[in-house]
Amino acid sequence: MNTRRLESAIVTGFTIIVALIWVFPLYWALVTSLRSENRVVSRPGLLPDEFNIGNYADALFNTQLLTWYVNSVGTAVIVTVVVILISMMCAYALSQINFPGRRLLYLVVLASFMIPSQALVVTQFILMDQFRLINTWGGIILPQLIVPVTIIVYKQFFDSVPREMREAAVLDGGGDYAILFKLFLPLNWGITTALAIVTFIGVWNAFFWPFLVITSEDMMTIPVGITQVNDAFGLAYARLMSVALLAALPVVLAYLIFQRRVTEAVMISSGVKG
Amino acid sequence: MGVSLKKVAKDFGAVRVIKDVSMDIPTGSFAVFVGPSGCGKSTLLRMIAGLEDTSDGAILIDDRNVTQVEPSDRGVAMVFQSYALYPHLTVFENMAFSLRLARTKKAEVQKMVGEAARILQLTDHLDKKPSALSGGQRQRVAIGRAIVRDPKVFLFDEPLSNLDAELRVAMRLELTRLHRKIGATMIYVTHDQVEAMTLADKIFVLKDGIVQQAGAPLDLYDDPDNRFVAGFIGSPAMTFIPATVIGRDADNLVLRTEGVEAHDFRAAVRSEAATGATVHIGVRPEHWRIDPEGMPVRVEVSEELGDVSYLHTRLNDETEIIVERKGSRESLDGKSIGITADPEHVLVFDVDGQRLR
Repeated sequence: MNTRRLESAIVTGFTIIVALIWVFPLYWALVTSLRSENRVVSRPGLLPDEFNIGNYADALFNTQLLTWYVNSVGTAVIVTVVVILISMMCAYALSQINFPGRRLLYLVVLASFMIPSQALVVTQFILMDQFRLINTWGGIILPQLIVPVTIIVYKQFFDSVPREMREAAVLDGGGDYAILFKLFLPLNWGITTALAIVTFIGVWNAFFWPFLVITSEDMMTIPVGITQVNDAFGLAYARLMSVALLAALPVVLAYLIFQRRVTEAVMISSGVKG
Repeated sequence: MGVSLKKVAKDFGAVRVIKDVSMDIPTGSFAVFVGPSGCGKSTLLRMIAGLEDTSDGAILIDDRNVTQVEPSDRGVAMVFQSYALYPHLTVFENMAFSLRLARTKKAEVQKMVGEAARILQLTDHLDKKPSALSGGQRQRVAIGRAIVRDPKVFLFDEPLSNLDAELRVAMRLELTRLHRKIGATMIYVTHDQVEAMTLADKIFVLKDGIVQQAGAPLDLYDDPDNRFVAGFIGSPAMTFIPATVIGRDADNLVLRTEGVEAHDFRAAVRSEAATGATVHIGVRPEHWRIDPEGMPVRVEVSEELGDVSYLHTRLNDETEIIVERKGSRESLDGKSIGITADPEHVLVFDVDGQRLR
């Protein structure tokens, strides 16, 4: 019994240490963001010693943070809705409709999943340039719409819907769109929410592509915008931390609200759970 | 004619699974496709529904050629073995699904679903999800979903297979009542010949994608065309014993069984059969008579069912023969008895399994 308690104490202690290591940067960012710039650079202590929301006010009113928020929300919502819609339709076709070349098409989807997106950046940039889409919404959004993993996950779920259920709907007079939206979507509502949240968070946090394709400050999303704060004000730690925290806030809230679904989606899309 | 098939065929790759099947099912009748698994009965039903393409031939429903028509436009409704209810919808919405797709007016939907629910005694369950229902209730919802569409033809694909024995008998009766009440053409697929016998106006016995025989249940029972039908219809099944034609005696063919218990049987067969030809004789359990002068068999086990008992007997060569015995309850286990049958009850099949009449 004692050995078991000791084991449990060691595991708990270890977990606490790991948790502290993970949480410290966040804590430090919060404490720093509430200090004046002077105190930040003059030997600050570990404990909070000031409650100065000036940095937040500055970030909100003296930078384009609000514009970037709107841009980020807009981009993330559009990409999420379109990705879910086209992935769902593509997966339905691959899973339920018999057409020539179906297997080949699925192999193409699988193959595109295996190529890291970074490897495509240069060609994508040239393509967008040739389409004259640099510094446009189309330029930010279009390349982010290709998410093969969402198609693969959806297909797995659609494959497990009993064949007779679709046949019953066909006999009831349902076309493919009706069957998809009235039968397959409601039956897979859980995975749809999960995939939507993961896509949303992914697009919200996307930095590399928007950073490359957008140079106009009015069109930047939050992760790209943060780099501008740094440039404009020199190395202003407190202000930078407040902007970073404000940028992360929606994602943190979304994660806290949908924690269970997000975990489920990450597990499914990484193949831990089928 | 309710449903007509004209030389219908179905290929899966290079394999032809349905081979030139033709049949006529009169409007308002209850037809049953019966046969062992893999005989093509479900495929044939799915072809009528339009869920499988037809490789050759024509399918007519109410004299309209529907071979190339979409499933939903054929005027058929299907009840699946697994029920295939939509789990996220209530019983009401399950039954109303087709009406909603057809954009039927709300009042009309209420009326039609209400009527179907009343017929099937589901009125109290309309707000429940399928997961809250018992197997029998789910099956009734599946039937309700079909009724609401007011189809010309109902198709049933082994609908009672997932129910327990007691419920199966009850649902069988309900289906018969339902058929009488709504009078639509019904086609029912089963591998259970008891279901086929009790439900059908007309049975189609299938094997290897070919209709072996079609007719009223008792016609198939009394007058089978071949050995397969004779063995498949009837429970317990008919027993077959190899025999040789040894001559003719007035209207009867005289046959001698092979083996150590060589015994002569007479069969009411008019057609000529060459003396010395090898045949099989078939006798149903209820047509055997215990007769000390008959063919000697050894009783292994007797199943006592009260009014009737089934003696599982064996010949010396281990051929099993089931003998039905009525009235007497004296145990015959382990004893040797003699059995025989009247000429009109001895059926004769040639080496290809075709009946000699």
